[in-house]
Amino acid sequence: MAPLPAKVPLAEINIELPWRQPVPQILWFNSKLRVWLSAQDKPAPLAVVISGTGSDGNTKTMSVLRAALYGAGYHVLTLPSPTFPGFIVSASSTGVAGDLEQDGHDLYSAMQVIIARLPRKVRITDIDVLGYSLGGANAAIVKSIDATEGKLKIHRALMINPPVSLFSSVGRLDRLFTAAIGPGDRGVELLYRRLYAQIANLYRASDRLELDENFLLTAGAATLKTDAEFSAAIALAFRLELVDMFFIGDLYAKTGVITDPQHPPRVRDSLEDVQRELRARPFADYFTGVFAPYYLKRRPDATSASLIAANRLDIIADTLRADGDYYAQTSSNDLILNKRELAWLEDTLGSRIVVYDHGGHLGEVGDRQQVADMLDMLAGHWPRSTQ
Amino acid sequence: MKACVLMSLLALTLGGCASQVISIRTVPDQTPAADNAAAAANAAAFASAVAAESAETSAAEAHAPDAPPLLTPEDAPPMYTYDPWERLNRFTYRFNARFDAAIFLPAANTYRRAPRPIRAGIHNFFGNLAEIDSVINYTLQWRLKYGLRSLERLAINSTVGIGGLIDVATKLKLPGAPTGFATTLAKWGMHPGPYLVIPLLGPSTLRDGVGFLADYGTEYGINVAGLYRGDVSWGLGTVNAIDQRANINFRYYSGGSPFEYETIRFLYVRRRLIEDEGLRPKEPVKPATDAPAGK
Repeated sequence: MAPLPAKVPLAEINIELPWRQPVPQILWFNSKLRVWLSAQDKPAPLAVVISGTGSDGNTKTMSVLRAALYGAGYHVLTLPSPTFPGFIVSASSTGVAGDLEQDGHDLYSAMQVIIARLPRKVRITDIDVLGYSLGGANAAIVKSIDATEGKLKIHRALMINPPVSLFSSVGRLDRLFTAAIGPGDRGVELLYRRLYAQIANLYRASDRLELDENFLLTAGAATLKTDAEFSAAIALAFRLELVDMFFIGDLYAKTGVITDPQHPPRVRDSLEDVQRELRARPFADYFTGVFAPYYLKRRPDATSASLIAANRLDIIADTLRADGDYYAQTSSNDLILNKRELAWLEDTLGSRIVVYDHGGHLGEVGDRQQVADMLDMLAGHWPRSTQ
Repeated sequence: MKACVLMSLLALTLGGCASQVISIRTVPDQTPAADNAAAAANAAAFASAVAAESAETSAAEAHAPDAPPLLTPEDAPPMYTYDPWERLNRFTYRFNARFDAAIFLPAANTYRRAPRPIRAGIHNFFGNLAEIDSVINYTLQWRLKYGLRSLERLAINSTVGIGGLIDVATKLKLPGAPTGFATTLAKWGMHPGPYLVIPLLGPSTLRDGVGFLADYGTEYGINVAGLYRGDVSWGLGTVNAIDQRANINFRYYSGGSPFEYETIRFLYVRRRLIEDEGLRPKEPVKPATDAPAGK
């Protein structure tokens, strides 16, 4: 691990954004966008960090990045992913998440409002934007939007383990789900039953009087022994995030896949069956049931194929190639990239990408080398002169 | 007077937070260097614990003839939870979330700014008072070994530990393990019953709710040092509640998920059911029925 500062101050910012759609009753708790700021007490550059798929701005990965950046002298502003339920409700102008360009515009607008309203004592000398996983792609898009609109004058953008094609990355996770858990909700139930029995047996065998978090983690780890079981856990975690996005998208787009547009669910209504049904559905169902109908209606020239193509990082390929202020870090064994996509990234960014030979998806984050590279990239000391 | 305060708190909570366009609030500092060191230590402990647990499992898998029969996946309760009062529970859950955001959590965050030794003293003080209830309930559960341990803890901490402010007993290898009437009821075979969200308190079941009331009644009845009745009980009760909240790492809707009610209900009831498994005499397991968990 890279050396980290002893103390990082943190402020939580809740902000209401004027362009959000009316908030459905059952999502009352998401009406304000929540972001986190760690401010230096002297003038400093601002690093805006965007979270990965379905996550808010205060994840473990985010804490590591925040500490490293704050320690290096940045103000750090961490934002949720535009696919995070709290963002979709409070900051999305559509309620239907997953479109790189639309999400980029919503992020960009939110950033402008937040930065304009920061306390005066936060003196900003420069703005860089970075993100991990899907947030990496979001960061690059935001910078490219700013290059046209020029409202924030974003200097550099860094993508950490970004996807190249949103849909092909998600497709890989869906196949992982089917392979590790099985199609439908039956597999989830079997996985649950296995975990329950294992943990209960371990607990009975131990002399503990209370089932605390540490015990649960230990028992869980002892149960998920094989790679396949670990894959199942990753695929399930991802699927549960998709379930939230799917449900909210259907509610906003009024596509009626799972909620009745005439009678949207209310606070008193049980959502268990809805959750069960959505758990069994892959991303493809979200695309064909909610995403495509919604965007095809609003973009007369679009087709399903063009919507998929628009969610590839190569919509800004020329910019990525020509503008020396875009950087990336990834791993050769990152599970969200295939060989072709990795080659495309290397070819497009040239010397501005570093590819680690291990670490998988986000495994390198916080590592001494990753942090040093990240800071040099953001400072423009890259590629390092060979000495 | 008290009623006025309560009513205004209630109004504030029900009305939701005042609508501000932006709010900026400092929260406790993060301490990454210390966290990392702690994480490294934890990881080491974790690794050895996993190794130990795996050894235990394989021992269990070998299944000595006198060992209790193991639960199989078929014995696991179904994923559905028995929740006949869901409508009311959902409203209570929302009330709790609002109360927590407007009053409880801010109070706990302010409390967290107090120096650590002071907070530890307060925490230990209340923990020590709770030992009385633990002694009674371990006795009722006929787990006298633990009851004796709680009694020893109570004696040591109340005297050497200056009225319970310092947890000397834990340093003497007598770690605390509080119990209550809910566990006593479980021990004697009572099922959790319907899921129940208790105002201000949060997720529970009918059984656990009854247990909570019984614990409170016991403390009220014994009224140690006159702390549980009259005006002093209000102040102490509030401090106790804030101290407990400050030690729970949970925030309503931090994940933004529309299914949080379902998730919390699922996790709470499963955790309690597994704890019940630990209480059962180690006899053959009854086959599971198709009834929802908790029924």
